[in-house]
Amino acid sequence: MSILYDEGQQAIATESRRVLEARMKKDDLLPLLETTGRYHEAFWTTAKEQGWTALALPEAHGGLALGLVEMGLVTHQAGRTLSGAPFLTSSFGVAKAIELYGSDAQKARWLPGLASGEAIGAVVFAAGPDALPAQPGITFTDDRLDGIGAGVTGGLAADVAIVFANGPGMPVLAIADLADTPRTAVASFDNSRCIADLEFRGTAAEALAVGSGARDASLHILALQAVITAHEQTGGAEALMEIARDYALTRKAFGQPIGAFQSIKHRIAELYGLVELARANCIHASSREGQADFITAAAAARLSATDAYDTAARDCIQIHGGIGVTWEIGLHLHMRRARSLALEQGSSLFWEDILVDRLAGEAA
Amino acid sequence: MSDLEAWRAKAAAWCESMVPTFGKAARKGLSVEADLALGRRYQKAKFDAGYAGINWPKDVGGQGLGHIEKVSFEAEEMKHGFPNVYFGISLGMPVPVLMQFGSDRDFVKERVVKALQGEEIWCQLFSEPSGGTDLAGLRTRAETDGNGWKINGQKVWTSWAQYSDYGVIVVRTDPTVAKHKGLTYFWVDMKAPGVTVRPIKLAGGDSHVNEVFFDDVKISDDHRMSPVGGGFAVAIATLMIERYVATDSAGFGPHLDLFVELAKEVRLNGRPAIEDGRIRQQIARNYAMRAGLDSINLRARRMMEAGMTPGPEGSLNKLVAVRSRQKLSELAIDLQGAGGFAFDEHASPKDDWASSWINAPTGRIAGGSDETLLNTIAEKILGLPQDHRPDKGVPFNEIPA
Repeated sequence: MSILYDEGQQAIATESRRVLEARMKKDDLLPLLETTGRYHEAFWTTAKEQGWTALALPEAHGGLALGLVEMGLVTHQAGRTLSGAPFLTSSFGVAKAIELYGSDAQKARWLPGLASGEAIGAVVFAAGPDALPAQPGITFTDDRLDGIGAGVTGGLAADVAIVFANGPGMPVLAIADLADTPRTAVASFDNSRCIADLEFRGTAAEALAVGSGARDASLHILALQAVITAHEQTGGAEALMEIARDYALTRKAFGQPIGAFQSIKHRIAELYGLVELARANCIHASSREGQADFITAAAAARLSATDAYDTAARDCIQIHGGIGVTWEIGLHLHMRRARSLALEQGSSLFWEDILVDRLAGEAA
Repeated sequence: MSDLEAWRAKAAAWCESMVPTFGKAARKGLSVEADLALGRRYQKAKFDAGYAGINWPKDVGGQGLGHIEKVSFEAEEMKHGFPNVYFGISLGMPVPVLMQFGSDRDFVKERVVKALQGEEIWCQLFSEPSGGTDLAGLRTRAETDGNGWKINGQKVWTSWAQYSDYGVIVVRTDPTVAKHKGLTYFWVDMKAPGVTVRPIKLAGGDSHVNEVFFDDVKISDDHRMSPVGGGFAVAIATLMIERYVATDSAGFGPHLDLFVELAKEVRLNGRPAIEDGRIRQQIARNYAMRAGLDSINLRARRMMEAGMTPGPEGSLNKLVAVRSRQKLSELAIDLQGAGGFAFDEHASPKDDWASSWINAPTGRIAGGSDETLLNTIAEKILGLPQDHRPDKGVPFNEIPA
């Protein structure tokens, strides 16, 4: 059932927006693009201080025991203001895997740090275009991981990873301490994501789930993250729609605001449609965790949010004309983020297949 | 189970019980006239069961319930393909406006009850050959005639006028003032001398819309439903009345699961089409779009239940759903290849792809074109400027034709 936000949830949205709008500055984000391996520390400090890292984790381990709805509200705001670090989502994914599939010892070891934000998590599932490969390239043998985890978001700063690996005749979802794992920063068009190649060489690891259960568990984690990311994408798209609207109201050409030309106003009205469809799918998906249709709802949210953010980035820049492509105006921050978020947690190509398999009744 | 859920369950059961008499199978092969007669019986049954005028006041024959009950009933009713299409406009706009603006309350009540029972049908005479979206540009005129009025001119795209007993009409009573200031709103007897109705055959083969000609049609002043020159405000009120109508994320075309079934049956390049990436992408994209609308609509219902006004995003329904339906119908015809040529003009657009496809353009034009809807979103929701309007403030008779 699609939900109406209650007062507490609305307060989370309002407060996170207030804090982020006060603290996030485009001028702090632009320099991060030109250096590899740094993230916006002020954002991460804010996230920890505000308790966002603890939001959806169990109380017994330092969490606030809220859920996807509240996480989504915060990441929507983070998307609006271009969150300067990817760890909110990556650490959440790792923490949920430990909470759902880990032992008491694993929970005690990792969850308090992930909840406080002192520890950072990374998710190592993808191989090339496949967000959850049939044959993972990383092997899991005798509780050791070997292989390269390529293009891992947040990987450069992560302390712990969950890895979808090829075990003895079956897939394994494993958890590994990354303290001794060598890693190489990937120079990216969106450098503050701290993307890295992780090199597992006999890295000690523990299995969280094996066999088809490992695949189901990994897909579930990916879907949880996809819903969080979809909120962030929707927030970014919403911000771009508003920026485009405001510019169209002030910029004049041929004696009138450009927003009076239908080629401009209809383009912005179409963005409104994409944003509202994405928002509606996000709200719905965030209320379906634990239900049989959760993966379907997550896929729909993910697809519409990716479409909304990419389109809003294209069109907002187009509406701005020449000024839109300058470094200084910073619209390219959104354009870059739209693409990095489109890849993280699996691209549209991946989620289209996940969705259609379910609609056609072919899901494993 | 909440009261509303219980009410809805009862309504659903009633709808089920009507299927043998009024469902798709019972309607198959009927002429329009026979189907209309069946529709009148259905409407009477609905009235007797307490499902007509659900959110209308009791003192004029309604049920005195809320918008949420009305929308819930419509969502159940929509599943069965009952012959209710003839009464959609009548009960959707003209009759509610009569309830709101009609001065003779006994007359109003008699008309409302007969309309709810399916005995009388009302049409809405707004669009003209000179314009539909530009409603205030209309040219049909009413001149004073003794104590009453005399109407001359032409209306067009009037749904079900050929079966209508009455109509509401906006006409120009003063051509010397700015275009929207010289309009007045009346009701007319569609059987009066001088009213001529000519059905227009549409692309899909059906003829539910009409041209309506007025030649010296005389009406008394008690037909007037607005102040003289105040007709535009009532016309806008008419268009705003139906905020709470059941919507369909399939755009009143086939549902997506029918497309999925087709894609599983058809083979493409030697394998089921459901395995083809192009087909899969369209299924996924359309699902995401329609699921978004479903979620918007569900949330609107929750808001109504909570006594709140639903957000403006409900205005996306028609725009998004009918475009989705149009393109998906094209693709469904592609999927059938040589088998896709077949056409049955009596098939329902809700379960036949060719019928859905050929009738889809009507859905993108009637009741607010895509372009009008985009303008409305841009102007009313986002606060963007109106288009340049060269006729603004110009007396009607000085606007270049």
